[in-house]
Amino acid sequence: MFQALLVRKYLFSKIMPLLACTGVLLCVAMVLVIWSVMGGFLDLLIRSGRTTTGDVTITWPNVGFAHYDDLIQRLEKDPLVEAAAPLIETYGLIQLPTGRQEMVLVRGVDGPSFLQVTAYEDIIWWRPITKPLRKDVKGEDLRLDPKYTNNMNTVLQQGRTLTRIDEETGEAQPAMVMGIEVSRINAREAAGFYSPRVYRVRMPDGTMKDRDEFLPYTGEVVLSLLALDKDGNVVEQATRKVPIANEFNSGLFEADSKIVLVNITLAQQMLRMHAQQRRVQADGSDSTNSTKEAITPPTDDDGPIRSGPTKLIDEPARVTSVLIRGKGDLGDLGSAEALKARAEKIYAQFAKDHAGQVPDEFSITIATWEDQNRTMINAVQKETGLLLFLFSFLCIVAIFLIFAIFWSMIAEKTKDIGIMRALGASKFGVAGVWIGYGLAIGIVGSLLGAVLAMLIVKNINTIHDFLGSAFGLTIWNPEVYYFTEIPTRLDNFKVIGVVIAGILCSVIGAAIPAIRAARMDPVKALRFE
Amino acid sequence: MLLTASNIHKTYTLGKVAVPVLKGVAISVAQGECVAVLGSSGSGKSTLLHILGGLDSPDKSPQAQLTFDNRDLTRFSGSEINHYRSHDVGFVFQFYHLLPELDVLQNVLIGAMIHDGLGYSTAASERTAWAKELLTQVGLSHRLKHKPTELSGGERQRVAIARALINKPRLLLADEPTGNLDRNTGATILDMLDKLRADHQYTMVVVTHDAATASRANRVVRLADGLVVQSFAEAAN
Ligand SMILES: Nc1ncnc2c1ncn2[C@@H]1O[C@H](COP(=O)(O)OP(=O)(O)OP(=O)(O)O)[C@@H](O)[C@H]1O
Ligand SMILES: [Mg+2]
Repeated sequence: MFQALLVRKYLFSKIMPLLACTGVLLCVAMVLVIWSVMGGFLDLLIRSGRTTTGDVTITWPNVGFAHYDDLIQRLEKDPLVEAAAPLIETYGLIQLPTGRQEMVLVRGVDGPSFLQVTAYEDIIWWRPITKPLRKDVKGEDLRLDPKYTNNMNTVLQQGRTLTRIDEETGEAQPAMVMGIEVSRINAREAAGFYSPRVYRVRMPDGTMKDRDEFLPYTGEVVLSLLALDKDGNVVEQATRKVPIANEFNSGLFEADSKIVLVNITLAQQMLRMHAQQRRVQADGSDSTNSTKEAITPPTDDDGPIRSGPTKLIDEPARVTSVLIRGKGDLGDLGSAEALKARAEKIYAQFAKDHAGQVPDEFSITIATWEDQNRTMINAVQKETGLLLFLFSFLCIVAIFLIFAIFWSMIAEKTKDIGIMRALGASKFGVAGVWIGYGLAIGIVGSLLGAVLAMLIVKNINTIHDFLGSAFGLTIWNPEVYYFTEIPTRLDNFKVIGVVIAGILCSVIGAAIPAIRAARMDPVKALRFE
Repeated sequence: MLLTASNIHKTYTLGKVAVPVLKGVAISVAQGECVAVLGSSGSGKSTLLHILGGLDSPDKSPQAQLTFDNRDLTRFSGSEINHYRSHDVGFVFQFYHLLPELDVLQNVLIGAMIHDGLGYSTAASERTAWAKELLTQVGLSHRLKHKPTELSGGERQRVAIARALINKPRLLLADEPTGNLDRNTGATILDMLDKLRADHQYTMVVVTHDAATASRANRVVRLADGLVVQSFAEAAN
């Protein structure tokens, strides 16, 4: 009882408790801010990974697998599955309007189903917007310009369907949506938006000409892909001019500079993965000497003469992956596992029903978004762990701070301790005063620290902008990190954990001085001057 | 006898030198009695008082005897000593020894809080009333919210007396209660202690080197050279 009274009195008495509280407060706030920025960073990486792949993917790379529409149907019947979509993934070379050649990851997607499975809708860049980006104070983003609203709507629709209307024929042509950084034609502004820039091209006659072009209107790239047969042999190199429908900005530089999306029908045709007829030996076995003929469509039917009777069979279309999105939000680590297990079960049945025609369930890769981004997630998690480890030294600093402050306070309060003992307080009771005092300082400091951290985290971008404009300090360089905003994520459990740690540190720091106080000889303490 | 002590030795060791302060003191105090301990400075009066109050312990020896109400204080465990200090004894010190952060009322009540432990919360209003009553008796009812630093020496000593009496102790130990006060103020304090003793019926041991203070006691004990050299009853006052 008397401890409570004394703690209250001591807490509001001197500069010492104020110092101790401030120390704890700063330590707690610093750890929380760092942790939440790292958490936000991890979160963003995870989300961007998930943006383009859905929750679970079934993959048979390069050559792909057939009957995927049946698989998608089976998957979509399952209550765990929200939607599923086919995908073809391969590498390709594109020639940009500027003449640059870029090696890119080509993803053949089917617009409508891809929209359902991924967050594709959110990352299509060229679209009409009404609210400028937070840092775009002057409203210079051309997507804001009302005179482009109609065109932007068209372009957005182009992006969704991955088609572009041919100006001459009026036909919708399969098209490409590039990552915003692929072309290098878009200038990234500090506020985070892009402005198409004038670029120079070499004309056939050798002269240079400036070209001012908005890619989704008239831009084209030349796409080259290598078609493989189902055994993985290169059959041909397909090269096509592909119109650009739109561009996407996932916020992840790696994706935005290396990935292009193309209409799946185009990808299938170029990769010879579309539905076709194939000539095989009449006995049913594949013609083994030349796979080239085997997949050559019947239209180019002048294949080399072969011994023995042959016949034409229907070869169904193939894709390399099926993307699955689960019901509800599976954005937390570990939450896509159930869906993965279900997909494995469905695939096993599917493989049984199409035995011999599709890869068996033991060879196929079925992975969650988490599995796919494992290295990246691990890296960030490790870094977070390391940082937390380093910052746990702050805990030790806090402990020493409290220790030092308490040690000197107890020296100063020796006589009070003697008085308490003379009035009959036990050693335990006297220690309790100081432990309680440490606890109170820990609680006050940690809670205020948590509040401070929450305020900082909430306004971190404003603070960062202010530091930038006032002192020219740029800690979070968007050129490096490629996020315009500092991402943050402050979970309640983190806050509670750090607050508890702060309180514990204070109590631990107070413990040794408290023991010293308890062990004081009361008579000596009373004689203390 | 409420309190008996015999063969009490107390030796301090400074480095390798043993400094004997008490060399076999014997004293006994009857219930309701007021005993004055006289002695020159450094004769060990405070040391003796601390031992009687359970704040210090005499040198371990089989002959040493110290009983309160027929209980052997030398055999008390730590918690029994604490209990003895908070329940049976009230201390008044030469230098008041108030807690500077607490106001007058809290300085008195803290004795009750230590005495009651967790039970204080249920008895708080009753204890507060009693503390105010005591402070009224010592004439400080109008200074309840003042800090010790805002009081004069005599007022501080009166707060200390109220604190010593808050738990209605059977034994009041006063270590030169007037040592730091002028004659008049000292006399007032002593009058007050006499009056309070009449009301509260406590037994009292008062340490002093002042003959006038000693003259108020029922009995005077003189301490010199680590021994009780003279014990005589004063003429009843
Ligand atoms: N912790 C200690 N270590 C060594 N010597 C001590 C210690 N405490 C007290 N003494 C010595 O014991 C002797 C008795 O001290 P004590 O305080 O009991 O005297 P006193 O009679 O109360 O004197 P005063 O009238 O000045 O208050 C003194 O000589 C003092 O120096
Ligand atoms: Mg003394």
